Amino acid sequence: MSERHPDFDELVGPDLDASERERLRRVHDALLAAGPPPDLGPRLGEPPVPSADVVPLAPRRRRRIALVALAAALAVAVFAGGFAAGSRHATPQAVRSVSMTGTPLAGRASASLALFGVDAAGNWPMKLSVDGLAPSTSGRPYELWLTRHGRLVALCGSFVPKAQGTTVVPMNAPYRLTEYDGWVVVEEGSTAPVLSTA
Amino acid sequence: MERVDHAAAVTDSELIERIAGGDRTAFEELYGRYARAVLGLALRRLGDRGRAEDATQEAFVSIWRSARTYDPRRGAGAPWLYAVARNAITDGLRRRPEPTAELQDGPGDEPGPAERAESSWAAWQVHRALEVLPDHERPVIELAYWRGLSQSEIAKELDLPLGTVKTRTRSALARLAGVLEGELE
Repeated sequence: MSERHPDFDELVGPDLDASERERLRRVHDALLAAGPPPDLGPRLGEPPVPSADVVPLAPRRRRRIALVALAAALAVAVFAGGFAAGSRHATPQAVRSVSMTGTPLAGRASASLALFGVDAAGNWPMKLSVDGLAPSTSGRPYELWLTRHGRLVALCGSFVPKAQGTTVVPMNAPYRLTEYDGWVVVEEGSTAPVLSTA
Repeated sequence: MERVDHAAAVTDSELIERIAGGDRTAFEELYGRYARAVLGLALRRLGDRGRAEDATQEAFVSIWRSARTYDPRRGAGAPWLYAVARNAITDGLRRRPEPTAELQDGPGDEPGPAERAESSWAAWQVHRALEVLPDHERPVIELAYWRGLSQSEIAKELDLPLGTVKTRTRSALARLAGVLEGELE
């Protein structure tokens, strides 16, 4: 930024009435106080590409009804599937288990993430088990993210923990896991982890 | 002039609501309006260009993800965007703390948190307002204020008649006053 300040009188000329002159003077002072906006440079020339699509939410009441209906349907489906399968199939074995510990934001929380084999569609079925994580005070759910170099990169799912006991949440990640280097849980709308693998 | 017409037609609030529905075009439009303001805020907070660029990207990811929490009945888009960006920058700072600096003796002359916050918000508003200037007006302001050129020098630099430069300068200041009305009292 140049040290030479523009001459306000030269900029606006002599023929303004007093109130307009005062109005423009405030802008002049604000511009000088703010200083120049930075150039974006090549790295910020384009907006980032958020990796998780925003899912428009229905109004809360409708959403709750839909969730209850979905949970009921899933319960029936799981029961019927299990009944039909009988003992022919053993419980799937996790191919990998990941431990997560609470950050200072949730020091008593812990979690484990069981990853099952890649399914036919290329997805990773997972089961997240969370202990000691209180529901957020804002009422917003928590989200499980894959990270790279400390950044949230890919969203795997969201959940609301139970007030007590272990919360178990099935999830499914359609990602190439080798592209990431960690997992974190954050409150929706925040980037501050409450659980992490670090 | 297309830029101004477009800016006048679509408010920040409308863009945020469209982003909540997954509209990438609205996100790009909002990025064009606010990227420099967010980077400026991050630079003032973090001091380091690389970390500020990281924080700017994180702030816009946060805006994308948080858009559905925005309620236009509770206020205009700019303060909401400022709050989301500031929180994202602060979160980034917590995750990647500043390098340890030597402590200075005594309190120093640095402004306190309240003064810093107020000047950050004021600069945010001014930088945002600059983005709504038409493409033919913005250069005269930037050359006058941040390169220190006189009106005659600007006329030479832009190859314009001096009278045109004066008209555009006064018009740009009046337009900025209109955008910032009520915020600089």
